[in-house]
Amino acid sequence: MNPAPLEAVLLPETISELTGLGQFGILGDMIAAFLAAFFVGNLMLAMTGVAGPWAKRKITAAFTDRIAVNRVGPFGLLIIVASAVQLLAKELIIPEHVDRPAYDLAPVVIASSAMLGFAVIPMGSGIQLADPEVGLVFVFAIASIASVGLVMAGYASNNKFSMLGGLRAVAQNIAYEIPLIVTGASVVIFTGTLQMSGIVEAQQQALFTVAGIGIPAWFAIVNPFAFVLFLAANIAELGRNPFDTPEAPTEIVAGYQTEYSSVYFVLIYLGEFLHIFLGAAIITTIFLGGPTGPVLPGIVWFIIKIWAIFLFTQWLRSALPRVRIDQMIEIGWKGMLVLSFANLVLTAVIVGVFVA
Amino acid sequence: MSEWIAVGALAFVAVLIPVGMMVVSALLRPSVPEQGKRSTYESGEVPTGTTRIRFNIQYYMVALLFVVFDIETAFIFPWVVIYTDAIAEVGLLHALGPMLVFIGVLVAALVWAWRTGAVQWIKSEHPEKRTRIQP
Repeated sequence: MNPAPLEAVLLPETISELTGLGQFGILGDMIAAFLAAFFVGNLMLAMTGVAGPWAKRKITAAFTDRIAVNRVGPFGLLIIVASAVQLLAKELIIPEHVDRPAYDLAPVVIASSAMLGFAVIPMGSGIQLADPEVGLVFVFAIASIASVGLVMAGYASNNKFSMLGGLRAVAQNIAYEIPLIVTGASVVIFTGTLQMSGIVEAQQQALFTVAGIGIPAWFAIVNPFAFVLFLAANIAELGRNPFDTPEAPTEIVAGYQTEYSSVYFVLIYLGEFLHIFLGAAIITTIFLGGPTGPVLPGIVWFIIKIWAIFLFTQWLRSALPRVRIDQMIEIGWKGMLVLSFANLVLTAVIVGVFVA
Repeated sequence: MSEWIAVGALAFVAVLIPVGMMVVSALLRPSVPEQGKRSTYESGEVPTGTTRIRFNIQYYMVALLFVVFDIETAFIFPWVVIYTDAIAEVGLLHALGPMLVFIGVLVAALVWAWRTGAVQWIKSEHPEKRTRIQP
């Protein structure tokens, strides 16, 4: 074990204690880790299952004054099951002359990389798979792998729309990744650690008290400028509206996913939703105090917070027009990048003067 | 060390779930090959020319710029971690100064890229001369 300053109990350890797997040495550890990973993976899969076929439709319908799915089950909830079966049972049409291994691997890369990011996210109530000291860097690194999957999908599909979508996706991802990471780094100035539990811990003390209620020192409140920057860069990194130029249905059909059908389409779609939730989980952890909150258990707060950010992305989707690719690049390199470095330097100077 | 076992376990699960879905789908789905079904989508037309078309050079320019800045962020991370401790140890000037110089060089590079138009999305001056896809 690491000589961690904060002794957080991780999910694999809890499982290994409860089931007595710990006595079987490294093999027991691996089985416990696998069980914990399976739980976390399926938890996020369940979120995506609710969000994709049901919540997204309902939310968009509410914005556009419609009802949406309401026939199958209460509130149309069983549409989740129906959609899953329907989508998996679709015929898989592989277009002519696709670049075969890349075409098949791309959906797996997109979905897997999004899911792997949840390994270091503290979800409250002791649900956290791992808490390495490089947690924040790890999660940024894993979240970037999806760009590779998008390029693979775009290039391998043998379709001009896919090709353009893949190019746009990578141009956008690299333009907004620097502001994202630099803004994330500005938070680390406050915490002095990259460990996720340490970042959550640093946001616990009350910043000030209003009418007897302590306002916690969430970094969204301590440094709202960084929060807004990070939120915008994150939306762009995920390719959600108003930055959904890589998929832009009115320009390039569906971008990199034009030629994907059946289960491959499901995996790409799943990967995108997992990425929204991963982005939401990163924001929750480093800006919204992680899974902590009054009265309710941690996991409930974690789910409330990530769904709040999911709702925010859906609100943007209904409310804002799409930016063009040239505007996209210019906003990224000329606006966000400069602002994020200004934020980093200002934070460093203010914290430095404050500490010294 | 056991933490990385858990990360590895999630990596395994994260591949297992998509592959499992692909297997389930392979068992469920029909296969009805038809004439023309496998041609790529090009707004309903018969696809013309190759997909590997020449594309805008600026995708390459921003990618080059990214390589520079991405390495810079890797250098910024160790600094932000030790920053507050370093102030206590060597004082504000020595903790902050070098990084300000470093970011200053970076900003100078960005200004140069900005002025030379690397991040400016230029429209073709001769739109009629653009490569046409030959049928």
